[in-house]
Amino acid sequence: MTRTMRRGLLLLVAIVVVLVMGVVYYALDPSSSGFFPKCAFLEFTGYKCPGCGSQRAIHALLNGDVVAAFKYNALLLISIPWIAICLYAESQRVRNPKLYLRLNSQLLIWLFLIMVLLWWVLRNIFNW
Amino acid sequence: MQYWINHKGVQSGPVDLDALKEMGLTSAAYVWHEGLSDWVKITQLPELQGLYEMVGEPIPEPQAVTTGTPIEEITQGTPIEETTQAQIGSPLQPQYGEEPLIDEPCPSTNLVWAIVATVLCCVPFGIVAIVYANKVTKLYKAGDLYGAKSASETSMWWTIAAIVVGVVWRPLLYTLICA
Repeated sequence: MTRTMRRGLLLLVAIVVVLVMGVVYYALDPSSSGFFPKCAFLEFTGYKCPGCGSQRAIHALLNGDVVAAFKYNALLLISIPWIAICLYAESQRVRNPKLYLRLNSQLLIWLFLIMVLLWWVLRNIFNW
Repeated sequence: MQYWINHKGVQSGPVDLDALKEMGLTSAAYVWHEGLSDWVKITQLPELQGLYEMVGEPIPEPQAVTTGTPIEEITQGTPIEETTQAQIGSPLQPQYGEEPLIDEPCPSTNLVWAIVATVLCCVPFGIVAIVYANKVTKLYKAGDLYGAKSASETSMWWTIAAIVVGVVWRPLLYTLICA
Protein backbone atom coordinates (compact mmCIF):
# COMPACT_ATOMS: atom_id res chain seq x y z
CA MET A 1 0.00 0.00 0.00
CA THR A 2 1.39 3.35 -0.96
CA ARG A 3 1.75 6.29 1.38
CA THR A 4 -1.05 8.27 -0.25
CA MET A 5 -3.40 5.26 -0.16
CA ARG A 6 -2.72 4.68 3.51
CA ARG A 7 -3.29 8.36 4.26
CA GLY A 8 -6.53 8.34 2.28
CA LEU A 9 -7.77 5.26 4.12
CA LEU A 10 -6.87 6.82 7.47
CA LEU A 11 -8.72 9.99 6.52
CA LEU A 12 -11.77 7.95 5.46
CA VAL A 13 -11.81 6.05 8.76
CA ALA A 14 -11.45 9.33 10.66
CA ILE A 15 -14.36 10.90 8.77
CA VAL A 16 -16.60 7.86 9.38
CA VAL A 17 -15.74 7.83 13.10
CA VAL A 18 -16.42 11.58 13.43
CA LEU A 19 -19.75 11.23 11.56
CA VAL A 20 -20.91 8.30 13.72
CA MET A 21 -19.89 10.12 16.90
CA GLY A 22 -21.67 13.21 15.61
CA VAL A 23 -24.93 11.31 15.14
CA VAL A 24 -24.62 9.68 18.58
CA TYR A 25 -23.90 13.00 20.33
CA TYR A 26 -26.65 14.74 18.38
CA ALA A 27 -29.31 12.18 19.25
CA LEU A 28 -28.43 11.30 22.85
CA ASP A 29 -28.15 13.74 25.73
CA PRO A 30 -25.09 12.91 27.89
CA SER A 31 -26.65 14.60 30.95
CA SER A 32 -29.50 12.08 31.08
CA SER A 33 -28.16 9.01 29.28
CA GLY A 34 -25.98 6.54 31.15
CA PHE A 35 -24.33 5.47 27.92
CA PHE A 36 -21.56 8.07 28.03
CA PRO A 37 -18.33 7.69 30.04
CA LYS A 38 -18.08 9.92 33.09
CA CYS A 39 -14.98 11.93 33.90
CA ALA A 40 -12.50 9.76 35.77
CA PHE A 41 -10.65 12.77 37.15
CA LEU A 42 -13.84 14.23 38.65
CA GLU A 43 -14.81 10.90 40.20
CA PHE A 44 -11.40 10.28 41.75
CA THR A 45 -10.50 13.78 42.92
CA GLY A 46 -13.81 15.63 43.18
CA TYR A 47 -12.35 18.40 41.04
CA LYS A 48 -13.38 19.22 37.49
CA CYS A 49 -10.84 18.66 34.74
CA PRO A 50 -10.43 21.08 31.80
CA GLY A 51 -12.55 18.74 29.66
CA CYS A 52 -15.50 18.27 32.02
CA GLY A 53 -18.79 19.10 30.36
CA SER A 54 -17.41 18.76 26.86
CA GLN A 55 -19.76 15.88 25.96
CA ARG A 56 -22.81 17.91 27.02
CA ALA A 57 -21.33 20.93 25.22
CA ILE A 58 -20.99 18.92 22.00
CA HIS A 59 -24.60 17.70 22.34
CA ALA A 60 -25.77 21.29 22.83
CA LEU A 61 -23.64 22.54 19.95
CA LEU A 62 -24.94 19.88 17.55
CA ASN A 63 -28.47 20.90 18.50
CA GLY A 64 -27.67 24.53 17.75
CA ASP A 65 -27.56 25.82 21.33
CA VAL A 66 -24.27 27.73 21.42
CA VAL A 67 -25.03 29.51 24.73
CA ALA A 68 -25.65 26.22 26.55
CA ALA A 69 -22.51 24.75 25.00
CA PHE A 70 -20.50 27.71 26.28
CA LYS A 71 -21.92 27.20 29.78
CA TYR A 72 -21.07 23.49 29.80
CA ASN A 73 -17.49 23.96 28.62
CA ALA A 74 -16.22 27.34 27.45
CA LEU A 75 -12.80 25.91 26.64
CA LEU A 76 -14.31 23.58 24.04
CA LEU A 77 -15.83 26.46 22.11
CA ILE A 78 -12.66 28.55 22.34
CA SER A 79 -10.59 25.57 21.17
CA ILE A 80 -12.55 24.94 17.97
CA PRO A 81 -10.83 27.72 15.95
CA TRP A 82 -7.45 26.63 17.38
CA ILE A 83 -8.07 23.06 16.30
CA ALA A 84 -9.09 24.21 12.82
CA ILE A 85 -5.93 26.32 12.47
CA CYS A 86 -3.72 23.50 13.77
CA LEU A 87 -5.29 20.97 11.40
CA TYR A 88 -4.64 23.35 8.51
CA ALA A 89 -1.04 23.85 9.69
CA GLU A 90 -0.58 20.08 9.92
CA SER A 91 -1.75 19.66 6.32
CA GLN A 92 0.81 22.26 5.21
CA ARG A 93 3.73 20.97 7.29
CA VAL A 94 5.84 19.60 4.44
CA ARG A 95 4.62 21.95 1.72
CA ASN A 96 4.97 25.16 3.69
CA PRO A 97 7.36 24.63 6.63
CA LYS A 98 7.62 28.36 7.42
CA LEU A 99 3.86 28.69 7.83
CA TYR A 100 3.87 25.56 9.99
CA LEU A 101 6.48 27.03 12.31
CA ARG A 102 4.61 30.31 12.54
CA LEU A 103 1.32 28.58 13.45
CA ASN A 104 3.14 26.28 15.89
CA SER A 105 5.21 29.06 17.43
CA GLN A 106 6.20 28.74 21.07
CA LEU A 107 4.25 31.91 21.86
CA LEU A 108 0.97 30.48 20.52
CA ILE A 109 1.46 27.14 22.28
CA TRP A 110 2.28 28.91 25.56
CA LEU A 111 -0.83 31.06 25.16
CA PHE A 112 -3.01 27.99 24.76
CA LEU A 113 -1.35 26.24 27.68
CA ILE A 114 -1.84 29.23 30.01
CA MET A 115 -5.46 29.47 28.87
CA VAL A 116 -6.07 25.79 29.72
CA LEU A 117 -4.44 26.07 33.15
CA LEU A 118 -6.31 29.27 34.01
CA TRP A 119 -9.59 27.67 32.89
CA TRP A 120 -8.86 24.59 34.98
CA VAL A 121 -8.21 26.59 38.17
CA LEU A 122 -10.96 29.18 37.69
CA ARG A 123 -13.71 26.69 36.87
CA ASN A 124 -13.04 24.85 40.12
CA ILE A 125 -13.06 28.09 42.14
CA PHE A 126 -16.19 29.60 40.59
CA ASN A 127 -17.84 26.29 39.74
CA TRP A 128 -18.11 27.08 36.00
CA MET B 1 36.39 29.17 25.26
CA GLN B 2 33.68 26.52 25.02
CA TYR B 3 32.16 25.59 21.68
CA TRP B 4 28.79 24.00 20.86
CA ILE B 5 28.45 22.09 17.62
CA ASN B 6 25.48 21.41 15.38
CA HIS B 7 26.35 18.85 12.77
CA LYS B 8 23.58 17.77 10.42
CA GLY B 9 20.96 18.49 13.05
CA VAL B 10 22.74 16.71 15.90
CA GLN B 11 23.93 18.94 18.70
CA SER B 12 26.97 18.34 20.85
CA GLY B 13 29.31 20.21 23.12
CA PRO B 14 30.55 22.09 24.93
CA VAL B 15 34.12 21.30 23.90
CA ASP B 16 37.26 23.42 23.90
CA LEU B 17 39.08 24.59 20.80
CA ASP B 18 41.56 21.70 20.67
CA ALA B 19 38.81 19.12 20.96
CA LEU B 20 36.81 20.94 18.31
CA LYS B 21 39.75 20.78 15.91
CA GLU B 22 40.10 17.04 16.50
CA MET B 23 36.42 16.30 15.86
CA GLY B 24 37.00 16.14 12.11
CA LEU B 25 33.77 17.95 11.32
CA THR B 26 32.86 18.64 7.74
CA SER B 27 32.32 22.17 6.53
CA ALA B 28 28.56 21.55 6.85
CA ALA B 29 28.75 21.91 10.64
CA TYR B 30 27.62 24.96 12.59
CA VAL B 31 29.31 26.24 15.71
CA TRP B 32 28.32 28.56 18.51
CA HIS B 33 30.26 30.07 21.38
CA GLU B 34 29.49 32.72 23.94
CA GLY B 35 29.38 36.16 22.38
CA LEU B 36 27.88 35.00 19.08
CA SER B 37 24.29 35.98 18.46
CA ASP B 38 23.58 32.89 16.38
CA TRP B 39 25.10 29.71 14.96
CA VAL B 40 27.85 30.31 12.40
CA LYS B 41 29.24 27.98 9.78
CA ILE B 42 32.35 26.25 11.01
CA THR B 43 34.18 27.68 8.01
CA GLN B 44 33.57 31.18 9.31
CA LEU B 45 35.39 30.84 12.62
CA PRO B 46 38.66 32.78 12.41
CA GLU B 47 40.30 30.49 15.00
CA LEU B 48 39.79 27.50 12.72
CA GLN B 49 41.36 29.18 9.72
CA GLY B 50 43.61 26.78 7.85
CA LEU B 51 41.62 23.73 8.92
CA TYR B 52 38.78 24.53 6.57
CA GLU B 53 38.72 26.21 3.24
CA MET B 54 37.22 29.53 4.17
CA VAL B 55 33.82 30.08 2.66
CA GLY B 56 32.49 33.59 2.94
CA GLU B 57 33.86 36.24 5.25
CA PRO B 58 35.31 35.25 8.59
CA ILE B 59 33.10 36.63 11.33
CA PRO B 60 34.36 39.93 12.70
CA GLU B 61 35.94 40.21 16.12
CA PRO B 62 33.47 41.84 18.52
CA GLN B 63 35.35 45.13 18.80
CA ALA B 64 37.06 45.14 15.42
CA VAL B 65 35.90 47.56 12.80
CA THR B 66 37.93 46.79 9.71
CA THR B 67 38.94 49.46 7.29
CA GLY B 68 38.70 48.80 3.65
CA THR B 69 41.11 51.40 2.33
CA PRO B 70 43.27 50.25 -0.52
CA ILE B 71 47.01 50.88 -0.11
CA GLU B 72 47.26 53.28 -3.08
CA GLU B 73 44.79 55.59 -1.48
CA ILE B 74 46.90 55.86 1.65
CA THR B 75 50.01 56.71 -0.35
CA GLN B 76 48.07 59.29 -2.25
CA GLY B 77 47.07 60.88 1.01
CA THR B 78 43.33 60.51 0.71
CA PRO B 79 41.43 60.40 4.00
CA ILE B 80 40.83 56.88 5.25
CA GLU B 81 37.39 55.70 4.36
CA GLU B 82 35.98 53.43 6.99
CA THR B 83 33.97 50.47 5.90
CA THR B 84 32.56 48.04 8.38
CA GLN B 85 32.33 44.35 7.83
CA ALA B 86 28.57 44.65 7.80
CA GLN B 87 28.68 47.16 4.98
CA ILE B 88 30.87 44.92 2.87
CA GLY B 89 28.50 42.05 3.47
CA SER B 90 28.94 38.59 2.11
CA PRO B 91 26.64 36.80 -0.27
CA LEU B 92 27.75 33.46 1.15
CA GLN B 93 26.97 34.30 4.75
CA PRO B 94 23.83 32.36 5.69
CA GLN B 95 20.88 34.42 6.79
CA TYR B 96 19.18 33.41 10.01
CA GLY B 97 16.06 34.46 11.82
CA GLU B 98 12.91 32.96 10.35
CA GLU B 99 15.00 30.54 8.32
CA PRO B 100 15.32 27.16 10.08
CA LEU B 101 18.79 25.69 10.57
CA ILE B 102 17.78 22.31 9.19
CA ASP B 103 16.78 21.44 5.66
CA GLU B 104 14.17 18.93 6.78
CA PRO B 105 10.73 20.33 7.70
CA CYS B 106 9.84 20.53 11.39
CA PRO B 107 8.61 17.20 12.84
CA SER B 108 4.91 17.32 13.62
CA THR B 109 4.25 19.03 16.94
CA ASN B 110 1.07 16.90 17.27
CA LEU B 111 -0.47 20.00 18.83
CA VAL B 112 -3.92 19.36 17.31
CA TRP B 113 -4.22 15.99 19.00
CA ALA B 114 -2.85 17.40 22.26
CA ILE B 115 -5.55 20.09 22.21
CA VAL B 116 -8.28 17.62 21.28
CA ALA B 117 -7.17 15.29 24.09
CA THR B 118 -7.07 18.17 26.59
CA VAL B 119 -10.57 19.32 25.72
CA LEU B 120 -12.24 15.94 25.31
CA CYS B 121 -10.46 13.55 27.67
CA CYS B 122 -10.91 13.40 31.37
CA VAL B 123 -7.31 13.15 32.40
CA PRO B 124 -5.00 16.12 32.25
CA PHE B 125 -2.40 14.17 30.24
CA GLY B 126 -3.24 16.36 27.25
CA ILE B 127 -1.59 19.27 29.05
CA VAL B 128 1.70 17.34 29.16
CA ALA B 129 1.28 16.66 25.43
CA ILE B 130 0.95 20.42 24.82
CA VAL B 131 4.15 21.05 26.77
CA TYR B 132 5.97 18.54 24.56
CA ALA B 133 4.45 20.11 21.41
CA ASN B 134 6.04 23.35 22.56
CA LYS B 135 9.36 21.54 22.97
CA VAL B 136 9.23 20.32 19.36
CA THR B 137 9.18 23.89 18.05
CA LYS B 138 11.82 25.03 20.53
CA LEU B 139 14.29 22.23 19.74
CA TYR B 140 13.70 22.44 16.00
CA LYS B 141 14.42 26.17 15.99
CA ALA B 142 17.61 25.52 17.95
CA GLY B 143 18.69 23.11 15.20
CA ASP B 144 18.18 19.95 17.24
CA LEU B 145 16.26 17.75 14.81
CA TYR B 146 16.80 14.58 16.83
CA GLY B 147 15.49 16.19 20.02
CA ALA B 148 12.53 17.66 18.15
CA LYS B 149 11.61 14.25 16.72
CA SER B 150 11.74 12.58 20.11
CA ALA B 151 9.66 15.38 21.69
CA SER B 152 7.15 14.91 18.85
CA GLU B 153 6.85 11.22 19.71
CA THR B 154 6.60 11.90 23.45
CA SER B 155 3.79 14.38 22.79
CA MET B 156 1.89 11.75 20.78
CA TRP B 157 2.31 9.13 23.51
CA TRP B 158 0.85 11.47 26.16
CA THR B 159 -2.09 12.13 23.85
CA ILE B 160 -2.62 8.40 23.39
CA ALA B 161 -2.36 7.92 27.16
CA ALA B 162 -5.00 10.63 27.69
CA ILE B 163 -7.36 8.96 25.22
CA VAL B 164 -6.83 5.46 26.63
CA VAL B 165 -7.08 6.42 30.30
CA GLY B 166 -9.78 9.05 29.82
CA VAL B 167 -12.07 7.49 27.27
CA VAL B 168 -11.33 3.96 26.14
CA TRP B 169 -10.84 2.00 29.35
CA ARG B 170 -14.15 2.81 31.04
CA PRO B 171 -16.55 1.55 28.36
CA LEU B 172 -14.21 -1.43 27.98
CA LEU B 173 -14.39 -2.09 31.71
CA TYR B 174 -18.19 -1.81 31.75
CA THR B 175 -18.44 -4.18 28.81
CA LEU B 176 -16.22 -6.71 30.58
CA ILE B 177 -18.15 -6.47 33.84
CA CYS B 178 -21.58 -6.63 32.20
CA ALA B 179 -20.64 -9.47 29.86
